[in-house]
Amino acid sequence: MSDSGKPLKIALLGNPNSGKSTVFNQLTGLRQKTGNFPGVTVDVKEGRLRFPSGLEARLIDLPGTYSLYPTSSDEKIVTAVLTNPADPFYPDALVYIADVTHLDKHMLLFTQLLDLGLPLLLALNMSDSAAEQGIKVNTARLVAQFRIPVISISGRTGENIQKLLHELEKLIRNEPDASAGSEMVFYPLREQEKQVVDAVRHNLPIGNAYCALLLAHHHGWLPFLKKQERETLSAIVETKDFQSLRAQVDETLDRYDRFTPIVRKTIQQPFVSGGTATDHIDAVLTHRLFGPLIFFGVMLMVFMAIFFGYDTTGGWVENATGVLVDAVGNNMTDNWFSSLLVKGVLPGLQGVLVFVPQIALLFLLISILEEVGYMARAVFIFDKTMRRFGMNGRSIVALIGGGACAVPAIMGTRTISNWKERLITVMVTPFISCSARIPVYLVLIPVALPLSTWWTKALIFGGMYFFGLGAALGAAYVFKKILRTSDPSFLALELPEYRMPHWKNVWLTVWEKVKAFVAGAGKIIFMISIALWILGNSGPEGALDNAESRVRTEMSGSLTPEELNDRVAAKRLEASYAGIIGKGIEPAIRPLGYDWKIGIALLSSFAAREVFNGTMYTIYSLESVGAREEVEASNQRPFERYGRLRRQMTDDRFENGDRVYTLATGISLLVFYALAMQCMSTLAVVRRETGNWKWPIFQFLFMSGLAYFFAWLVYTLLPKV
Amino acid sequence: MQRRYRTIADLKQHESALAIAVTDPALAGKLTAMGVLPGTLIELVRPAPFGNAFYIKVDGIRLALREEEAACILLEL
Ligand SMILES: Nc1nc2c(ncn2[C@@H]2O[C@H](COP(=O)(O)OP(=O)(O)OP(=O)(O)O)[C@@H](O)[C@H]2O)c(=O)[nH]1
Repeated sequence: MSDSGKPLKIALLGNPNSGKSTVFNQLTGLRQKTGNFPGVTVDVKEGRLRFPSGLEARLIDLPGTYSLYPTSSDEKIVTAVLTNPADPFYPDALVYIADVTHLDKHMLLFTQLLDLGLPLLLALNMSDSAAEQGIKVNTARLVAQFRIPVISISGRTGENIQKLLHELEKLIRNEPDASAGSEMVFYPLREQEKQVVDAVRHNLPIGNAYCALLLAHHHGWLPFLKKQERETLSAIVETKDFQSLRAQVDETLDRYDRFTPIVRKTIQQPFVSGGTATDHIDAVLTHRLFGPLIFFGVMLMVFMAIFFGYDTTGGWVENATGVLVDAVGNNMTDNWFSSLLVKGVLPGLQGVLVFVPQIALLFLLISILEEVGYMARAVFIFDKTMRRFGMNGRSIVALIGGGACAVPAIMGTRTISNWKERLITVMVTPFISCSARIPVYLVLIPVALPLSTWWTKALIFGGMYFFGLGAALGAAYVFKKILRTSDPSFLALELPEYRMPHWKNVWLTVWEKVKAFVAGAGKIIFMISIALWILGNSGPEGALDNAESRVRTEMSGSLTPEELNDRVAAKRLEASYAGIIGKGIEPAIRPLGYDWKIGIALLSSFAAREVFNGTMYTIYSLESVGAREEVEASNQRPFERYGRLRRQMTDDRFENGDRVYTLATGISLLVFYALAMQCMSTLAVVRRETGNWKWPIFQFLFMSGLAYFFAWLVYTLLPKV
Repeated sequence: MQRRYRTIADLKQHESALAIAVTDPALAGKLTAMGVLPGTLIELVRPAPFGNAFYIKVDGIRLALREEEAACILLEL
């Protein structure tokens, strides 16, 4: 089998909560990556397996599902991969992970896989819990019954993971005999199913009987089918009068009837009376009154942790990069390259790094909530609320995740099976204040309200989160009224047992998400900083130098050398391409209270909003990360940071002498940044998740239009002081 | 006419009843795959705080179901 030279592919399968991801992490550790899934536009996780003998294989983590009759788009991936031998992820062998403490509920998909005829290994996971609960398992019986390798493992303690590898290698080294794997071994087809299968196999080059049956069931949506194949299948289903839904239920019930006695003979479970720990915890956490209260308390704590976390870590990162910039600046001769580095690349880099602790902390807290099993309860509690806004209880997971970063949050909506609910969730999640907005808010709030107390500013900061949430729910409500779908909508969700977090899982999640953020958003921010530097340092022939000499002759004598340099830099910027562009759009943003400099920041923020601070630094020609200020800054409370930038901003004036940054402008900017769609990564991911450019373009226009309108409204209403 | 079955909505908190059938074919596929089968004992643990959904237990598995989903599970009287 491994003659072809290509590495073998092994797929991990299992029901949700079987511990599949945990086993995947055990098997691959850091040797994993999230790859793009061609065609279906979905990510699957892939890792490298190394067998004791040195043989290597690709391990593919398919989404958890209860059966090959899927309802949501992540479950559909499993069926789409396993019924298409041409699929790049079509596996050479399968490892099925079952939760042995609920084996009677985890065998359905397993028996379906048996019938698919691929080499299969059964891993009975959670052997540690089973031992604790006094459950005895007769694996030999399962081996005899199914004639495949069966191993008891624990993803948590790592028990028997090596043995699993060993058995798996034996399995894939076995040459399968050619006739094996084409007929049903577990489920006997009914007469009608047999006819359908025969007709499918007669018309299409399909060997396996169950695969043929699945094609007949799913011909309507399987993405790899050609038009003609789809028509053939559809004709077969029609002529045989094959009722797919009914046949699915009958098959499922039949499978249960067959494997339930087998499981009974395999498992010995002591009788337990009284409630388990999970029951007692849920009596409080899903309580009619305490449940929602505790949820809001938990959310409040998460976002307080973010706010105060930024307070400390933001300073560290700024210090560290500040020292770096100083070192580079002092040790390099002054030329275009050092300028690009110090004023373009490094501030951009800092713009990325400043978020890393934030993102990491948020993902840490969110993945702990998921890992212990709390998220499923939040879904249960808020399903009704979310439906009122046209979404699904599962949307709450995306909305919470959107507080860290909309990109992974939007990818997580695949568990929502109803297209409309999912689309609405995708459309409104970017309204939730993500961590990229934190530094923008921290600069703008004190600019808008320079004299208010610390607590007022903190309240406004918190208010920005509610504002974002309100915008998300409001927009969702409007979409609910407009969009139509006939898709069925499900809650049907398993509430897993509460468990202590398995820290390896948590760290790996955080690591993976942070890496994706730095690579994805980081690249964009980095490129924008460089582009901005180029636009800000070049202009029409001689324009920059002319501007400089004019300032020097007009102002010499009346200013200190330092002030003169600042003035020169400002005039050069005004004459540069960046300045020309900014001035060009000034008429469009003047009604919101913005000048051309803000215009430049706005434009560059459309790629990624976190560019705002870096752009402002560049525009006000500060060495944005000069260590001098930032060392001083690290000892300051959040709203006192960015002091020099804020001073420059506060002093800035329009041509007619009015101050630019008044209360009205400051609040207008805050509103704009809360509502506008300023993130290319999000648009790209929306394109991938919705399948075409229509939705991201629409999202961009409606969010930015809304931002413009509300920014204009507050600017018009508020006093310009 | 007297109904010959109940649904989860008729159960009191922590009351159990035997499922006899799952009606709606679209939902039945999903529910049976998750382990809600005719012949299993279903316990209503509690309704959702804001209503509209139920927290149930089936053979040691805990599920959250909407009213519509719960309504297609017919229970013994
Ligand atoms: N006691 C015990 N817990 C485990 C074991 N394996 C996984 N878990 C826990 O079971 C829970 C679910 O594990 P996951 O690995 O996330 O399960 P999954 O099948 O990937 O679930 P989804 O991510 O929902 O598809 C987590 O809290 C794990 O820590 C095990 O062998 N023993």
